[in-house]
Amino acid sequence: MLTHAINILLSGIFHAAILFLVAAGLQLVFGVQRIFNLACGSFYALGAYTGVSAVNAFIRLGLPHELFLLALIGAGVCLALIGPLIEWLLRFVYERDEALQLLFTFALVLMFEDIIRLIWGPSPLSTGSLYLIYGQVTALGVTVPVYNLIVIAAGLVIALLMGAMLARTRFGRIIRATAENREMSAAMGVNLRAVYVKVFTLGTMLGTLGGALVIPATATMSEMGIELIVEAFAVVVIGGLGSMRGALVGALVVGILRAVAISTYPELEMVLMYLIVIGVLVLRPQGLFGEPAV
Amino acid sequence: MILQAHNIAKAYGEFRALNGVTLEIAAGEFVSVIGPNGAGKSTLINVLTGFLTPTAGRVYFKGQDITGLAPGRLARLGMARSFQFVTIFPGLTVLEVLQVAVLSRLRRGGRLLASLARDREVTAQATEVAELFMLSEKLGMVARQLPQGDKKLLDVASAFALHPEVMLLDEPTSGVSTREKHTLMAILVAAAKRSGIRAILQVEHDMDIVFGYSDRIIALHQGRILADATPQTLQENDDVMRLVVGQQGRPPGFGRST
Amino acid sequence: MKVWIPLGSVLLLVLALPQLGWPYYTILMLSFFAYATALLGLNLLFGYTGLLSFGHALFLGLGAYTTAWLTSVWGIRSMEVMLLTAMVVAVLVAAPIGALCVRYVTIYFGMLTLAFGMLFYSFLLKFYHLTGGDEGMRVLRPVLLGCDLSGMPKLSFLIGPYYYYAVAVLALATGVMWRLVTSPFGLWLKAIRENPVKAAALGVSVRRYRWYAFLISAAYAAVGGALLGPTIGQVDPGLTYWTQSGHLVFMTLLGGFGYFLGPLLGALVFIYLQDALMTMFPYWRLVFGAMLAVLVLLAPEGLLGLLTGRLGRKTVRVAVS
Repeated sequence: MLTHAINILLSGIFHAAILFLVAAGLQLVFGVQRIFNLACGSFYALGAYTGVSAVNAFIRLGLPHELFLLALIGAGVCLALIGPLIEWLLRFVYERDEALQLLFTFALVLMFEDIIRLIWGPSPLSTGSLYLIYGQVTALGVTVPVYNLIVIAAGLVIALLMGAMLARTRFGRIIRATAENREMSAAMGVNLRAVYVKVFTLGTMLGTLGGALVIPATATMSEMGIELIVEAFAVVVIGGLGSMRGALVGALVVGILRAVAISTYPELEMVLMYLIVIGVLVLRPQGLFGEPAV
Repeated sequence: MILQAHNIAKAYGEFRALNGVTLEIAAGEFVSVIGPNGAGKSTLINVLTGFLTPTAGRVYFKGQDITGLAPGRLARLGMARSFQFVTIFPGLTVLEVLQVAVLSRLRRGGRLLASLARDREVTAQATEVAELFMLSEKLGMVARQLPQGDKKLLDVASAFALHPEVMLLDEPTSGVSTREKHTLMAILVAAAKRSGIRAILQVEHDMDIVFGYSDRIIALHQGRILADATPQTLQENDDVMRLVVGQQGRPPGFGRST
Repeated sequence: MKVWIPLGSVLLLVLALPQLGWPYYTILMLSFFAYATALLGLNLLFGYTGLLSFGHALFLGLGAYTTAWLTSVWGIRSMEVMLLTAMVVAVLVAAPIGALCVRYVTIYFGMLTLAFGMLFYSFLLKFYHLTGGDEGMRVLRPVLLGCDLSGMPKLSFLIGPYYYYAVAVLALATGVMWRLVTSPFGLWLKAIRENPVKAAALGVSVRRYRWYAFLISAAYAAVGGALLGPTIGQVDPGLTYWTQSGHLVFMTLLGGFGYFLGPLLGALVFIYLQDALMTMFPYWRLVFGAMLAVLVLLAPEGLLGLLTGRLGRKTVRVAVS
């Protein structure tokens, strides 16, 4: 019974770590640029597919298998280069009606769907059992791959780094100031354009990294980006739009809930999640940590 | 007494926008509220018209407690307001804007399948209001294309079209050129007489307008009423003139314009 | 009226199409009739009231599943009963959902409607003993105006009696919607879209009228879904996935949400273009995504906006919080 519970917990936290990365990217961009970037799921998918290719290339080059994680991280980070490109496109919709902005990011989702299909094809890809190369750990009757623990640790580290960055560094202060009052920051000399590019790139990287890190433990699927966006959406609703802490807590809630539901009542899995999203939107629209909403 | 406010307070955390404001408007009165920026004038209007709920105090309209009622309700009860910053329907024509108000008064908004174009009564009444406010030439113009002064006029006109018993105007002449201000006020007063409005409360900065048209002036300062008197009495109150009027840069002792 | 000439010729073409010997394109028109009806409703909500719903496919799916349920589970074949039931069910479901959603605007409204749409999707998917799950449910041939045409071969039925039935439904729906938007009710919805604060100050019950618009749009979507059911023969949860709602909005934007007939044009272009692309070029989403992006940037007024010469107007306002 306990082992079962711990299994669920670990599986949930693993999923939460990935969700946190994607949601954090979403929150950053929303907080600063006030755009709900539906394409964050696409970045995640892109990260996953590129991760597979990177790892496979890595192996083929004869490099030590144990270091495949580097290939993944490298893929995730390098993909951030598309960030400035997408941000440049988004520039054209910054001053527009929110509905049009949403539709624009939806257009990106559609395009990325097919771009991914074009490059990698429709079949699922994976890195096989490569991730078991780090072995498994058994404790309290539960066996878990070390890789999963590494990802959880990575999620935690990144969360801490983000927190520290926001609270202590100059860039972090600029982000917080711009998020709170765009006009005032600009008036105080903040180069909004540069901030937007950097924030968006950071947000993109978090998404692509999330995708890259998850892939060894699963397989890519077509539409994985589209499916993730609804979970990421649940995370930011529960945690509160624009809040980093919210991304963390929301990810944990959604991740663990999902794991619990899958193992007890699979039918209820998604239904429960959406009921909670609706409940949160109704009872406390600003989520746990967000700014008070209209 | 047609409109009464008892001990209205509105606090934002520590900051008290309004602190114990009590006032009464009787039928037939034209009352102006003056005060420096931040005195709480717009807050007062917002509380009286249901856009803000006071943290304390009550508002009465024709004896009925209307504290906290939604603006839509109040509009239907007979209170209408105009806005300080241009608040219009950018994409609707002048005629349509007025029709919205007339439909409200005639309680015909719920007509789902009737043709609006063929409702002569609504169109006639909307046209009438447009005439009162010198907007007849512009009935077909889309509101966002109107010059600034006309937008303001439309804002007030649409409130008038409700045939309210009390009109609350939030800086009706702000953003309007000095030349047009008096035209606007003349139109306002004439229209008020024609449409049976029983009382007007306005927030105004322009002292010519204030002293020229008001039966009574209420001076607000830092959320409190400093004075509530006729223009003549107020002119003799040095404190008020200095604190409130003086800050507008106008010398005291100017006479009444018509 | 100038508009009657092009409109009249289009109408003539539509009525003549089944006789022209292109069964494939005629069948495609059936999808158009269904989506056009649904879009008339969506645009009442979006173009006229200013509320962008990302969950409209919920009601489309509701209508479609109603036809499946009535025909294959309860053996009711009357198309009229199906249409009516779809409307009633949609309004009943939309009442509480709408009451909740209209309290919020723009992004929160969009999020709530998306959540409800996905809630319905997961319900359809997971409760397979009720809904057939992933595979969906079959829709059996309906009885039109009391005439049992089950003897006819399927194709002849679809491009014959059913086609004209659907045209009639769409025509009726369009006529009713025209009356709605040119009525006092329609003007108040526009006022709410333009400036909800001012509308309230003029005595309009903003929340209540948004709710009415929501109910009507849901009923229209369900009628569209009911028309779709017999066309596709098999309804599945995919009809209600959030990207489907996105496509519906796309169609509206494509045609021009500021125009009454805009969504219809959008549906027509979308359906035929999608079909053409899918056969030639498997990456139709890429093209459509690019189209949507360009539309948003350069021509948010849609095709009808372009045709009436208003390219690139930046003052497009959809919803005001």
